[in-house]
This record gives sequence, C-alpha cells and structure tokens, in this order.
Amino acid sequence: MSETEGVTITKTGAPGAFGGELLTVNFGPHHPSTHGVLRLIVDLDGEQIRRVKPVIGYLHTGIEKQMEALRWQQGVVVTDRHDYLSPPINNLAYALAVERLMGVDVPPRAQVLRVIMSELTRLSSHLVWMGTSGLELGAMSMLMYCFRERDTILDMNEEISGFRMHTSYIRPGGVYADATPRFLEMLEGFIYAMPGHIDEYENLLTMNPIWRSRTIGIGRLSPDDAKVLGATGPMLRGSGVDWDLRKAVPYSGYESYDFEVATSDDCDCYGRYLVRIKEMREAVKILRQALDKLPDGPVNVDDRKMLPPPREELETSMEAVIHHFKLFTEGYSVPPGDVYVAVESGRGENGCYVVSDGTHKPRRVKFRAASFVNLQALERMALNHMVADMIAIIGTADAVLGDVDR
Amino acid sequence: MGIEELVESIGSHVLTTTLGKVVGWGRGNSVWPAQFGLACCAIEMIATATAGVDIARFGSEAMRASPRQSDLMIVSGRVSQKMAPILRTVYDQMPEPKWVISMGACASTGGVFNNYALLQGVDKIVPVDVYIPGCPPRPEDLLNALMILQERIKAQGILPRQ
Amino acid sequence: MSSRGPLFAENLVVERGISAGDAWVTVEPGNIRAALQSLKDDGYRLLVFLTCVDHLADASRKWPGRYELVYQVRDMESKDTIRVRAFVDGDPPRIDSVHDLFPPANWDERETYDLFGVVFSDHPELTRILMPDDWVGHPLRRDYPVGGEVVEFSEEHKIWQTAPEDA
Repeated sequence: MSETEGVTITKTGAPGAFGGELLTVNFGPHHPSTHGVLRLIVDLDGEQIRRVKPVIGYLHTGIEKQMEALRWQQGVVVTDRHDYLSPPINNLAYALAVERLMGVDVPPRAQVLRVIMSELTRLSSHLVWMGTSGLELGAMSMLMYCFRERDTILDMNEEISGFRMHTSYIRPGGVYADATPRFLEMLEGFIYAMPGHIDEYENLLTMNPIWRSRTIGIGRLSPDDAKVLGATGPMLRGSGVDWDLRKAVPYSGYESYDFEVATSDDCDCYGRYLVRIKEMREAVKILRQALDKLPDGPVNVDDRKMLPPPREELETSMEAVIHHFKLFTEGYSVPPGDVYVAVESGRGENGCYVVSDGTHKPRRVKFRAASFVNLQALERMALNHMVADMIAIIGTADAVLGDVDR
Repeated sequence: MGIEELVESIGSHVLTTTLGKVVGWGRGNSVWPAQFGLACCAIEMIATATAGVDIARFGSEAMRASPRQSDLMIVSGRVSQKMAPILRTVYDQMPEPKWVISMGACASTGGVFNNYALLQGVDKIVPVDVYIPGCPPRPEDLLNALMILQERIKAQGILPRQ
Repeated sequence: MSSRGPLFAENLVVERGISAGDAWVTVEPGNIRAALQSLKDDGYRLLVFLTCVDHLADASRKWPGRYELVYQVRDMESKDTIRVRAFVDGDPPRIDSVHDLFPPANWDERETYDLFGVVFSDHPELTRILMPDDWVGHPLRRDYPVGGEVVEFSEEHKIWQTAPEDA
C-alpha cells in the first residue's frame, strides 16, 4: 500500500494517542455484520482504528480448479456460484469470453435478453446490498422492503430459467431458452412498479438523520486513491470517477441504450449509497428500453457443434443424434488462445480470463473478482475511524465473500 | 380438603401431560438459530426471515449472533477446509441441546464442487439432523426442514439425544 | 483493442501478437518491472489482474517456460488494454514483485504464490492468502489433483484422485 501518504504501520502494545496502548482485536470470520466470512484483524487505539488487516480465504471454493476439470459448457454452472449475488453477470463474462475465442456472435434477441437478465441481476444485487447494509446500520425495515422486490425478481428468474438464484441462463452460444410470454408480462409489471419502490427506499433512507450521520463523511476514498487501489464499480463511481464498463468498453449491445453513469462526488459511504440508488433507477430505464426493442428471432447461434439440436430434430435426423451424442459425451473444443472479457457487475469489473489449449476443457479460467480488489481499499477507508464505522464501510464496500475467495 | 372440593375449586384449569411433552413443546416452538451465513444459501436464509416467508411464525426469527444463545446451527453454504475448524468451534460453543440443519447441496455433500478446497459434506465434522437439498434451497424448503426438526424435538422430550 | 504504436522500449519485447482481439506482448521475466514501469509511465495505470497459467504438458504450441505470468494493464483514459506475459521456470519459479508499481498487485501476487507457488521477490508479505497457512502444495498447478471424493460411474472415476497422465 504505497504510492500515497496516510497509511501508518503500528505495532500492538505501542503507545496510543490517548495515553493507552494499542489493542489488537479480531473480527470474524463468524461475525454477524462482516457480510459473510470475512475476518479482520484490527489494531485499535481507544476506539479508533489504526490498522486493518483483512484475512480472507474462508470461502475458498476452488472454483478455478473446478473449471479446469469441467467441460466448456459445464463450466457455466460453476460461474454462477462465485459472485452469488449476480449469477447471470458472471455467466455473461464467461459466455462472452468463450464466444470471443470461438469467434461466434449471438443473435440480437439473445443479446437483449442478456441485457435484461444483467440489469435484473444488478437490481437484485443492489437490493440485497441495501437490505443488509440497512439492517447493519439499524434500519431493520429496509431488509423487509428490499427483499420483497428481490423476491419478485427471483420469481422472474424462475419463470425464465427454472431457477431462483443460480440461473445458468446465459451460456456460450446464446441463452438457455426464449423468454416466456408470462416473463415479459411480469417484467412489464415490474418496470412499472419499481420506480415507486425505489422512491420508497429513498424516503426511508436518503434524508434519514441516523442513516446520514452513520454514512456521511465515513470511509472517505479520494478519486486518486480509488484509481490507484484499482477499485471499480460503485466504489470508484462513489468517488466521483466516471468509469463504467458498459459505457467504456460496451458489450452485448450496451452502446445502444440510453443511460447515465451514476457518480457521486461525496467520496464517502453516503456517496456510494447514492450511486447505487441511481444505478437502480438507470437499470429500470435500461430494462424499459430493452423490453421495447426486444427483436424477434432465434436466441441461440445456429451451430450444432456448440449447442444441442432442438428436441424435435432428434427424432428425424441422424445427424442431429450424432451431434447430440458428441456434445454430451465429449463436449466441444475451443481454438487455442487466451482472452479477457470484463463486464460491469453490481460490484465492479467482473472479468473472466480464459486460456484454451484446444481441448474440450479449459486450460485456465481466472475470474477477476471486483470484490477481491475493492476489499484492498478497506484499510485506506477505515483508517482513523471508529470501530462502529467499520461496519458501514464494509457494508458499502459490498464485498461478496464468494467473489473474494472464489 | 376432599377431592370433590379440589375439582370444584380449580375446575377445568388443569391439563395433565408429561414433563417430556411440555419440555418438547417449549423447545420445539422456540428454536433459535445461530446466525451462521456462509455463501449463497445464507441469502436465502435471510430471505426466510423477511416478511414474505416469515420464519417468525415458527418461533425461529431470533437469529442469535452468539452461539452461546442459540439452539440450532443452519450451515448455509459451502464449508471450506479453512472454515471447517471455525465451524466446529462454533458448534462446540453452543449449549446442549443443539441441532444442525445442513442447508443446500454444498453443505450436505459438497455439491457441484468436488475438489480439494471444500469439505465434502458438513456431516464429517458435526452431526446433522436435517439435510435440505437444493442449490440453494427455496426459503420454503428451509421452513419445511424446520418443521421436520420441530417434530423431532417434540418427540424427543427430555430424553437425552441418541 | 490497442491502436497505439510502439508502446514502450521495444528492446524489451520478445514477441507480440493479438489473441482473440486482445493485444499482448511477451517480455523476459527479468525485465518485467522495467516493462510495467514504462507501461505505467505511458498511461496504463490500472493493473486489471495478475495471474499465472501452468503450461505443463500443453501441446497446443511450444512454450518458453512452464509458468506464464500474465499482467493485464489498462489505460482508463484511452480505454486501451494490453497484456504482458513472462515465462518462468524452476522450482520455485521466481519473478520480481510489482506491488509498489501497482498496489492491487499485492493480493494478486499473494494469491498467485498461494495457488501456483510462484515466488515474487521483494514482496512485503508473501504468505498464503486463500488456503490455510499449513496447507501443503499449490492447488492450481496442473500436477496437483483436483481432489474431492470419487463419484462412482463418473467419467473421471479412475483419474479423479490423481493428476491426469497428460495433465
């Protein structure tokens, strides 16, 4: 943590500024407000934080090794589970990477469906963030309100993919299935209702004196620090840096949507909260546009080597049976090469670096986890704050431990 | 005082039962879970506590942050090799009687992650009473597991655990 | 992606190319700090990620070394990205740390050390980050078995517990 001034390294037992000694305190990994199994070793001077050392790895799942043992199309299932609050966005990063290596383009309808699922996921991820952060800072009712809308989103997930959370909906070559009429109906109703719900959350929090005093001026991260520490997503935009991969490096046709990048110059926990609220509004806007322009047509590439043939073809065509058999016993192989694709998740830049050696299993899949990098900024943000403020700081950093540890 | 007078004075205010049934009834209807969220399933566990599903109907809304105050550990998510000793410590800190629900495929068997990093089933380190399938299970599945557990607790009464 | 001309001291570049649209250059492992420093001076101030690829028994082409260190850097102004590779060998493989050039590399290097056993010289705290401190071996190496439990009737039934012969 060099580059900028401000971080002092202290030792336990060293004299503190208030006449006492520094005290090393352990937080977690089993702690109700560390957002999962994060462990922090904190040096305290009185109640002020002098050093924070995150200890991670308590949720290390071996996902990258697992991907190497699975075939290309099987890997999608595992990508769902690293950042478990935004599964379709993880799917999208992986699917885009594999498609880039294979040189295929998905049909327009699939692209729009991907955008719809990504934005729904962004909404549900921010809702979980707001509910749990509210709960930790004493706004218990936020949890009830936010999870109500989240359940609506999960019902839509279930309608379109058959699964509530880990949808595996976006796959290399397209999406799992076309949107059902009922899904589009539900989406229409959701887009209509959601802005009112966001107003409801704002009524509860934005001018709430307790919420404001717990977040304003807490966890300051200057724009320079945020850039140097590699923070992305609401952490970076909350520090006033206009950087969003959907605008900067558009993918899946994001360049054709009209939306603003939410930023805030507050540079503190409150700013990050405002950014997320704004992002939710923008997500609803994108959903509206996507639903309006949803084109007709296929949702998968017409490549029998990559995706199984439709069911009805299996009964009439011998070739289809052979393709089906090959695909489910051996899988497809991807041309040798490596590619990195980054997408904007609710937490920042979630990327997927894929290396193929030409076989039917990946040589290496590396997930660039936004939470992993953002968490390194924790020390900078928490320095010289009170212990209780650290809960707000961890909360607004929004680290998903599954994403950190993979 | 004769028996007739006693009956007359207390009337129908008496309920005869066994001690085991009373204790089982009390324990079964106020199972306090330890707040032990690990991964994806923890989000569904939180969802179970919210208004839509409302675990409070079954007396289990009091998620305790301290294992000393809880009766039930819901292992919600994958348990890594690094987390396993901590999970066991938390379990050991819970006072008897205590129960464990293994929520989701990862906690029960390792799920899709058959690899070096994960404990292939939390039953290797703690005794599990109810397994819930699903990845992650729906909140209703957790309620169902809780109801199954309640039946067992009520049937167990004051007898020591088998 | 990158449309710029010569990026930095050309004498450092061993090989350059484009893979699926991503520009990359290969440098000698000893020059990695010089290469990244000149890229940083050139505006590539964000280290997106740092990782390692184990090319044990990889027949897709001739590799200069078993471990390929991959550094992806990005210029947030012009939105260019470039990937820098360096191949190292040996046991343990060694390369210079870049944590002072790019602070996010701190944890990335620890992770790479943990999972691949690559030693980053001059790293302030090169300890395990994801696995327990007393873990033996580096799990993401190709000769490290996937582990877990044998699933009967599965395709990997025989080879699951051991490293595949062709890794």
